[in-house]
Amino acid sequence: MKRLTIISLFTLLFAVFIIVWNFSYQSGLEEAYIPINDKKSTSYFLENDGMEYSKLDLDYSNMPFDENHQRTLKEYYKNRAYYGAPPSIPHAVKEDLNIGGNSCLKCHQSGGFSEKFKAYAPIVPHPEMTNCKQCHVPQKRNTLFSETNFKKGTIPKIGINSALTGSPPTIPHPIQMRKNCLSCHATPSTPKEIRVSHPERTDCMQCHVQNNNTKTSELEIFIRKNTK
Amino acid sequence: MYTSVLTDRRSFIKKMAMLSAMTAAATMFPGILFAEEQERGLPKSKGLDWKKAPCRFCGVGCGVLVGIENGKAVAVKGDPRSPVNKGLCCVKGYHSVIAIYGKDRLTKPLIKKNGKYVETSMKEALDLIASKMKETIKDHGKDAVSIYGSGQWTIPDGYVASKLFKGCIGTNNVEANARLCMASAVTGFMTSFGMDEPMGCYEDIDYADVFVLWGNNMAEMHPVLFSRLLDQRSKRNVKIIDLATRTTRTSKASDRSIIFEPQTDLAIANAICYEIIKNGWVNKSFVEKHCNFNKGLTNIGYGLEDKFKFKDKPQKISFDAYKKFLEDYTPEKVSKLSGVSVRDIKYMASYYGDPNKKIMSLWCMGINQHTRGTWMNNLVYNIHLLTGKISEPGNSPFSLTGQPSACGTVREVGTLTHKLPYGVVMNKKHREIAAKIWDVPVENISPKPTYHTVEMFRALDRGDIRFMWIQVTNPMVTMPKLKRYRDAAKKEGRFIVVSDIYPTPTTDIADVILPAAMWIEREGMYGNSERRTQYFEQMIEPPGEAMSDTWQLIEVAKRLGYEKQFYYKKETHIEEIYNEYTKFHKGKKHGMAPLEVLKKESGVIWPYVDGKSTQWRFNAKYDPATTKEGFDFYGKPDGKAIIWQRPYEPAAEEPDNEYPYWLNTGRVIEHWHSGSMTRRIPVLHKAMPFAYVELNPEDAKRMKIKTGDKVKLTTRRGNIVLPASVNERGIPAPMQVFVPFFDENFLINDITLDSFCPISKEPDYKKCAVKIEKV
Ligand code: SF4
Repeated sequence: MKRLTIISLFTLLFAVFIIVWNFSYQSGLEEAYIPINDKKSTSYFLENDGMEYSKLDLDYSNMPFDENHQRTLKEYYKNRAYYGAPPSIPHAVKEDLNIGGNSCLKCHQSGGFSEKFKAYAPIVPHPEMTNCKQCHVPQKRNTLFSETNFKKGTIPKIGINSALTGSPPTIPHPIQMRKNCLSCHATPSTPKEIRVSHPERTDCMQCHVQNNNTKTSELEIFIRKNTK
Repeated sequence: MYTSVLTDRRSFIKKMAMLSAMTAAATMFPGILFAEEQERGLPKSKGLDWKKAPCRFCGVGCGVLVGIENGKAVAVKGDPRSPVNKGLCCVKGYHSVIAIYGKDRLTKPLIKKNGKYVETSMKEALDLIASKMKETIKDHGKDAVSIYGSGQWTIPDGYVASKLFKGCIGTNNVEANARLCMASAVTGFMTSFGMDEPMGCYEDIDYADVFVLWGNNMAEMHPVLFSRLLDQRSKRNVKIIDLATRTTRTSKASDRSIIFEPQTDLAIANAICYEIIKNGWVNKSFVEKHCNFNKGLTNIGYGLEDKFKFKDKPQKISFDAYKKFLEDYTPEKVSKLSGVSVRDIKYMASYYGDPNKKIMSLWCMGINQHTRGTWMNNLVYNIHLLTGKISEPGNSPFSLTGQPSACGTVREVGTLTHKLPYGVVMNKKHREIAAKIWDVPVENISPKPTYHTVEMFRALDRGDIRFMWIQVTNPMVTMPKLKRYRDAAKKEGRFIVVSDIYPTPTTDIADVILPAAMWIEREGMYGNSERRTQYFEQMIEPPGEAMSDTWQLIEVAKRLGYEKQFYYKKETHIEEIYNEYTKFHKGKKHGMAPLEVLKKESGVIWPYVDGKSTQWRFNAKYDPATTKEGFDFYGKPDGKAIIWQRPYEPAAEEPDNEYPYWLNTGRVIEHWHSGSMTRRIPVLHKAMPFAYVELNPEDAKRMKIKTGDKVKLTTRRGNIVLPASVNERGIPAPMQVFVPFFDENFLINDITLDSFCPISKEPDYKKCAVKIEKV
């Protein structure tokens, strides 16, 4: 009889343990459950959702500064059809069959010095996009099919677009797909004219506001209707 | 240690102090932004003005913002508000404005006199065209004059062309190059659903779990959409399956690349249906409620002979008969024919069959440019209908287009010989509707379709057609078996008018060349693959005397005495035409958004009902035009879609001992169609300067051919010598070669075959037999 009591006591304890364990497991699951949103729409390239990457990945405050291998702004613009155009690829590309992806990102995600090109690899401001050759194409020939009259638009000048002497300059270009300011403004491949003096401050748009002197005809401008 | 170039730390601190002072000032005087000072250093010009337009190039129809400075287009960025591309473009879109400024732009009308082109005035050129048309009609009848337009026609261009030729002159000789790329998609839709154009929209991409690309190199041809797939993959781990005959960038980027023998896609699709039925994956209630089974004629020919005629005879069949038919398409049998492993067939079928997976099929030229293109379209719909995976977010058979307005103009306005803006010429009611809106006697509109594109050029060769006006397209690069049609156009007694923006091989055969205003040099609308109509305003002035295609047609129509029908005023004609045109599509099934809405939005999807777009048609949840519960395929009288029994049949010309290789043709990402615009964009031309023949590395090794070697391609139509390309952009399967068609110096279409799908009349540019030799 005594043995039976002990056995049933243990069974009871075990059962209670199982129930409690199950319950806590279930409630744990509830906590951990994040509702899955069925639809994840594409969300690129809005101009106003600022600095996504500046705070992440590379340590931009500690980038080498190598005057011998710095690009100039002129070189920077050389392989762009116009101010703001996706640059063409200035070097040979080994494999034509891929979309770019890792073979491009190997060098262009975090940069670094290339012995072959004697230059620092520019860092891409949108590494999440892997279909590189969709926009960037190598140049295989130097001849034209026919001459062109296309003129690049005016390029903003550097260094004098601040409100007051010494106040932070405004951003003169669109920032669509250029969410990581530092990848262009604080790396060894950065042209010296646009290299930032304070890469450790990553919240760039705290001080620099956008002003590309453009109107976008389609954006509705908010006008306060004065009510009497 | 980091040394600053612009400033040192001390002056930086000073700047910060300044800044806080300025911020303080700004808070005290809200609204004052020191704008003037901030703008010093910025260009002194009036500044860039960004205006929205649909991209000029492909059928994806990305929204772009064109930067205008001092009356010139100088920059492009993606329109972040466009639901199509959300701010992203491809290399063609980004550089599209450069295509406006080629040095050799046509700016003056040219008339051929004694074999030489002489500059003249627009007035004289238009007078000549009108008098030639009158003369031809008098001497040879109405059906001797014709117009050949394009899927790059804006909606008003196509509309006035159709009104002039079908309504006023009274001939159905209206065709467009979309016959060469979209006709099978149209007949596929019409036979399966009774209504043209996809039921879903691009937003399906955001919901689907699996994407099957049927012979569609999306990474190069629909790059922005492909980036959307990649984006979904990085967020939700979706699967991309590339089913193709050639290894491409798309194959490399997909999760699974499956290569099949050309033409056997017919058998593969049937094998998938077989598996779906065998494994009990059929959505029985959907099929019972919403589908009928039909079979049509078989052994339907290839249209190789002049005046080829074909009419299908649909016949209702039972599900059991269909099931029986599919027994010829077990994965084992199909595997032998197609070279696709049994495992891969079952793998695809299991995704289609899994009720928990949302699936999208995407295709374009691989399926459409096919001697059984209509059948192939039907077969893909079969898969989606059997499983009930259709017309809801993420479950979507999606037929893509290649031209910016193949849908908007050719398919919706109906610039094909049998079409009217609403309905077909064969239908009396439809003719009456058209006659009323066009303000012409109904007898004017002929009830008989005349020539489809290939036959139209054959008629030009025979002399049945004497006058042809070609607008916004380059048939002397793109027609199959090109040599015959080039010779035809040069024959005595033919009069060819070409409206274009640059000299092309097509302007070379012209008697009159009219300089056209391009894209944003005029006002207009395009309609893309997802039924999205997009408006663009005139942003810059056209060069010289260049004139929009719409206005060219109106001027000629007036000269022919149709002032009453072509009452439009110069300043407002686009608006007037659009308002007149949309009368054809009133109602819940095809209502179009009013112009004010188009002007405001980055495109609007039709049907536009009560201020709202219908994103998923035929589904009662989303489509106000439905009258039944669940699904209502209202294109068919009984509201039921059709599952077609379509067998495998071989291609028109298959490799044999004499011509042992398959020849496939197509595009590359850098160039759009015949290259007449993209080759004038330096960055694109330099990236892809000339055409080549792609060989399989094994074949190349055997024949000792390296990249750059000259290779002679011979078919029954002739031969051409091209530089070889091995292990570069794409890798054809063994015993196949691929040649892009953009290069007018290497006219690959001289040797392609003009066989076509007997139902859609769309040629098959992807398959003919060729011999390869190293020279
Ligand atoms: S994908 Fe097509 S529509 Fe979009 S930018 Fe490129 S060419 Fe233009």
